Amino acid sequence: MEQRTNSPYPRIDRPMLAIIGVFLVLSCVLFFASDRDHDWRYYQAAFKGEVATQFGQERAAQVTTGIQQIWVADLGRADRCITCHQAVSWKGFENAEEPFRTHPLEPLKAHPIEKFGCTSCHGGQGWAVDVIEAHGEVAHWEEPLLSRALGEDYSLSGNKGALIQMNCNICHRYDRETKGADAINLAKRLVDEKGCRACHVINNRGGRIGPDLTRVGEKAPEQYDYSRLSGQKTAFAWHVAHFKNPKEVSTDSTMPVFGFNTEQAQALAMLVLSWRPADVPAAYLAGAPRTDVPTPEQAAEELRMRTGPGKWFVETGCATCHSIQVYGVKAPAQIGPDLSNAVEDVQSRFGRTIDDFLREPTGTMSVVLSRQIILTPEQKAIAIQKLREAFAVYQKQQAEKER
Amino acid sequence: MSEPTKKNDRRDFLIKLGTGAGVCALGIQGLASARSLMPNVSYDAPTTVKLGPPAEFPDGLKFLADERLFIFRDGNTFHAVSAVCTHLGCTVRAEALPRPETATVGGAPLKLTHKFICPCHGSQYAGDGTNISGPAPKPLSWYRLSVAGDDGQLVVDLADEVDRDFRLTV
Amino acid sequence: MTMTPTPAPHPEAPGVRPRRFWSVTPRSDRDAGDAITSNFMLHAFPAKVSKASMAWSYSFWLGTITAALFLLLTLSGLPLMFLYVPSVERAYQSVKDIEYVITFGSWIRAVHRIAAHAMVVAVVLHLARVFFTGAYKNGIARGQHREWNWVIGVVMLLLTLFLSFTGYLLPWDQLAFWAVTVGTNIASAIPWVGAQVRELLIGGREIEQATLIRFYALHIIVLPGALGGLFAYHMWRVRKDGGLARADREEITEVARQVSPSPTKTYTLLGVTTGTAPTVTARSLEAPNTTVNAVPDLTRRAMIATLGTFAVISILAVFIASPLEEPANALITPNPAKAPWYFLWLQEIVTDTTIHMGSFTINGAFIGGVILPGVLIGLLTVWPWLDRSPSAVTGEWFPRARRTQNLVFILVMVAILLLTYVGMEMRGPYWQIYWPWETWPSMPGRI
Repeated sequence: MEQRTNSPYPRIDRPMLAIIGVFLVLSCVLFFASDRDHDWRYYQAAFKGEVATQFGQERAAQVTTGIQQIWVADLGRADRCITCHQAVSWKGFENAEEPFRTHPLEPLKAHPIEKFGCTSCHGGQGWAVDVIEAHGEVAHWEEPLLSRALGEDYSLSGNKGALIQMNCNICHRYDRETKGADAINLAKRLVDEKGCRACHVINNRGGRIGPDLTRVGEKAPEQYDYSRLSGQKTAFAWHVAHFKNPKEVSTDSTMPVFGFNTEQAQALAMLVLSWRPADVPAAYLAGAPRTDVPTPEQAAEELRMRTGPGKWFVETGCATCHSIQVYGVKAPAQIGPDLSNAVEDVQSRFGRTIDDFLREPTGTMSVVLSRQIILTPEQKAIAIQKLREAFAVYQKQQAEKER
Repeated sequence: MSEPTKKNDRRDFLIKLGTGAGVCALGIQGLASARSLMPNVSYDAPTTVKLGPPAEFPDGLKFLADERLFIFRDGNTFHAVSAVCTHLGCTVRAEALPRPETATVGGAPLKLTHKFICPCHGSQYAGDGTNISGPAPKPLSWYRLSVAGDDGQLVVDLADEVDRDFRLTV
Repeated sequence: MTMTPTPAPHPEAPGVRPRRFWSVTPRSDRDAGDAITSNFMLHAFPAKVSKASMAWSYSFWLGTITAALFLLLTLSGLPLMFLYVPSVERAYQSVKDIEYVITFGSWIRAVHRIAAHAMVVAVVLHLARVFFTGAYKNGIARGQHREWNWVIGVVMLLLTLFLSFTGYLLPWDQLAFWAVTVGTNIASAIPWVGAQVRELLIGGREIEQATLIRFYALHIIVLPGALGGLFAYHMWRVRKDGGLARADREEITEVARQVSPSPTKTYTLLGVTTGTAPTVTARSLEAPNTTVNAVPDLTRRAMIATLGTFAVISILAVFIASPLEEPANALITPNPAKAPWYFLWLQEIVTDTTIHMGSFTINGAFIGGVILPGVLIGLLTVWPWLDRSPSAVTGEWFPRARRTQNLVFILVMVAILLLTYVGMEMRGPYWQIYWPWETWPSMPGRI
């Protein structure tokens, strides 16, 4: 008769296997539960209720369920915001609480949702389907939702919802003025008035004393030095502090204090953070200019200055910061004094002749003449000669005035 | 003798239950993996397209070039006929009939105002899309129209073909 | 005795009686043996197994756990293979999709990731166990070659690390990109062929699309295939060597004992008798007292180890989320940039051996990245031939004869663990040392 070997193992092993089976069932329960535990389900149910209350059951039955996605292949964005924000195109929810508010119609006329998605204007993390992740308020997502709440968080003076204009300007950066982007427009006017281009390359043109700002918005938050910043440690806060007092944040800076108030500094910070490359197909930029275009008056003025008596100063670059009134040369920014009377001005200010001063300049001029405008000795001689000529014209002018 | 047997039976049953549950759980995990391969979101071009508010559609015919679709309106009744020729896919042309006819299409009356001719190989279709002559093998498709729940626009579902009895009454 | 009907015997295999829906309740030893030999999957197992080999406390079934983890990685990798896109434009997005919109996607990804880390740990523990028990040594039987099984095992360890490394790159986020940068830069310190090795690994000079597709192909087919093949050989070798080393030990240390004669066995005249009745002195592992049927006992334990591993990983995966950092950006180096944790000890050594003395620099990458691990792996591989302890101590935990080598092994492991800890927890931004009580400076992450 064949035997069956006695084994002590089944006594313990079989129950152990059964217990493991129970744990496996537990794991199924757990992962099923965690898969159903997403915010969007709650919001969809709530919205259905809202529609039923307001419009009745048949309309409520038309509300779509499940994850909704706007896939914009051209921009590489898959935005799932409309999974919770279902009221975006529903008429009748204009005054509802978010996320059930109708989207204002005006911006959508030129920027239909199917072509732009949501995040290209609003920021945030379009991939996500939970609230905090979707609004970008998580680690390792560098672009938060540019909401009113963020504006409050960043202590914006004025319009708390202005941060979204940063994203407008990514595409509209060469516009002189963009409808609806007041903070950006203010900042662009300031750039023109204050002559930032004298020291910085902006939109591919400008000087080389300060860093090139064409792509400065691309800089990652961790690449800024926050050691001298009190308060919030964000790129936005850094720029605001920098605009208010450059040397305080960036110790080797030669950038002057322009006396911006908070609103202006914040507008400029928004402008600067929006300067990043926009990899969009040409069809998206139809109508928006692709480079900075001077107005006809500006173009005529520039031509006159380039061909007039003061043209040497324009060609050499002195006219970036210095006007020469006697030759009708107007600098875009009045950073340095007028050169018409430089001969006597330098003497009275520094107690030196202009020959001596050009040979060994002090202050800002020493930075400029060593980094931006390098003059050979022959050019310096020409400069001195032309300054004397200008001074002669100036003296004649003063004499005529007194007469 | 009965007591140990009863305990063993219950023990045995529980053990079998646990082990069986474990095997089922493994199967469920496998099914979960399979479920993960069924997409929840679509990266395809959307097949439902909003066409505009019903008010913007005139009585008679409106041709939508992007969707290659004819929208017919008779009072408050709409239907949509595809403009894609069933021969080789050219866009057919609509030619107005000298006099509108009323025919019974799909069991309901329908006012026919146009017929369709394909410029590529000469297929001809009647006003309801039936292929009358030429190389076209099948009639023109009809697609489902509906009214969008959110903003009341007309919506066509280009993935949902319907029969000739389809009418949308707004 | 149950009276289930048995199907007709298989004509090709006389004596083999297969059962419909192979069951785990053999009615006799012969049934148990049949169940093994008529089953393709179980051919790797013997018909009987020594009880000593079965003990949890001998091997902790680490080999089985490692194999179970590999199986889990394969199974969880299958759906991921369909869902992930190995293109630099779409990889990050596909992983975000897996996390957010794929049903059970985040769980499957977490299972895969946790199982991967667990497999590295299990492989190392298995290696340590085999070393501590001297199971790479041969016993007294003929034709044993456990040393080659050990070598195969070391190769499998390296394959496991490489598998983990190639998988690490696939999400194409900052963590992945820079970990691979650090790893391949260390590889370039290999003398003479370092730069070529790096170019071969990367598929070019910069980590780009070529690297991604190369790592993907390695990760899903080449390395798992190689590992699977070696695993098959590994198991076959164990059978050929007569089972686990513990069984050898049992054989060596077993003392001959009196057993009453088995009624069904016949004995030759060499059966020694004392007294008036026939007695048998048995000294054999075939004895019923020291062995059990592989079916059901070994297979059931293997199930426990495998399913237990599955259960633990499945539950952990619900609670431990998988990281995903910013999209890979070659222009922004995260601060600090770290290799995956199983290479952190190497990165730490590289840092510590890079010494600047004036204008002369000792190349830490060469010492810490090439020489040191090379020496360690080399020693590990040839150790069975350098081991001078007697074969009698094979299969024993911490025998006196192997005290020194076990101690040295422990010290090396502890050193590696310490270096890993330093690399993980104590190296902060700019690779500065931060003691556990010091807070790291916050690295802001928002515009």
